[in-house]
Amino acid sequence: MLKAVITAFALLLALTVTAAFAEEKRWVASDGTTLKKEASISSADLSSLPVGTELSVIESGGRWLKVKTSGGKEGWVYAGRVADAPPAAEVTGDAGLFGGTMQQSQIQTAKADSARSIRGLSPEATQYAKQRGTPELFRKELDKVLARKVSARDLKTFLRDGKIGEYAP
Amino acid sequence: MIRKQVVLLFALGLFTAGNAQAGFFDEVQKFVSPDTKEGKILSGATQVLSSAKDMDYPTELTIGESLALESMQRFGKPVAKESLQQYVNLVGNAVAANSKRPSIPYRFAVLDSPVQNAFAVPGGVIFISKSLVGIMENEAELAAVLAHEVGHVAGKHAISTIRRTQFLSGVGTITAASMKGDRGKQYESMIGDMQTVLFDKGLDKGMEFEADSAAMETLYRTGYDPRAMITVLKKLQKIEATSTKKGSWFSTHPPLDERIERLEAQLGKYPGAASLARVPQRFAKKVK
Repeated sequence: MLKAVITAFALLLALTVTAAFAEEKRWVASDGTTLKKEASISSADLSSLPVGTELSVIESGGRWLKVKTSGGKEGWVYAGRVADAPPAAEVTGDAGLFGGTMQQSQIQTAKADSARSIRGLSPEATQYAKQRGTPELFRKELDKVLARKVSARDLKTFLRDGKIGEYAP
Repeated sequence: MIRKQVVLLFALGLFTAGNAQAGFFDEVQKFVSPDTKEGKILSGATQVLSSAKDMDYPTELTIGESLALESMQRFGKPVAKESLQQYVNLVGNAVAANSKRPSIPYRFAVLDSPVQNAFAVPGGVIFISKSLVGIMENEAELAAVLAHEVGHVAGKHAISTIRRTQFLSGVGTITAASMKGDRGKQYESMIGDMQTVLFDKGLDKGMEFEADSAAMETLYRTGYDPRAMITVLKKLQKIEATSTKKGSWFSTHPPLDERIERLEAQLGKYPGAASLARVPQRFAKKVK
């Protein structure tokens, strides 16, 4: 009887440990991450993976990891684009602080940025400049800095031309 | 009898687990007590974290824009060469995408300044002086300095220095209306204090080491040679004696030899670092 109890206890312990360590988790930590069909940048794109996406590691192939998404999709990601802990969520103006999920809050940050690039300097910073008597020249220069956007496509071309990261030979 | 043995077995299990954790819990206990040195550190750290965490992104960017306006007046306006500005934005965004805070938009600009300097304002606007770019040899070195500054934005370092300012007490979000009257004066005073920290006194040493370490990690994750963080500091070391100190990386940052020593110790974490990208040709073409 005692043997049976010990065996049951050991089994329970083993199951708990297995459940905790069976799947090695990673989280997408870089903007513009893509799930690829093979462990190569030239292979087909399966889907784009937003920052914060949880992945289970199936196999490690050096600079590339074979992973599975929570939706069951399998593919490869460049190891430099994932981290072993989830990234911190952004606090946005409306929902981020009170119950907004991380992904929502990141989307809102992106939306806020698109709106900002259209209107330039924020009304609050404009008011500050007015109060301080900041010369118009500097306001215009800052507007130019804020308007200079880099698209995901520009960045991919830039990394490919420089043979950087997943584009390295 | 059996029941006793089962209880004993569970007790043994708990003891084993408890024993392994004892040292950890002893340490935690020190932090819980408000009278210990550790407790005081924790209470300070909590205030920093809650303040920086509570500030929403638009507010952070408004503070950043105000500081950006002041910094351009102090150090000079952006250089007029549009191809250089675009190139620096590509390098900067390449590393920012692999930083600890990849989801906010980052903007980079080269300022027409003779002082070797680079700095970040809250919200992700980052400046580097023309003269600092001028001592570099390759793209990885430019990426290293920009990744260091992204590290400050990601760590919300500048914001945490203003946690006790009058303006922020009870205010989560800045509005144009709250910029008028007394509140406006308080806001101006807060921006003034931040300028003193960023451009004169410098951030805490610990924040600088954290930004250096984050930069090396970000370079490696992006695919740039992480040794570039060390080589660029060594280049600064060579010119330190003959350079302007006021408002530069020399006066607002910890001593270069201490930074280099820490980074060299960290380098062991990155196998195959020497084979990663440095991209000297493209850098020379875009910058010179």
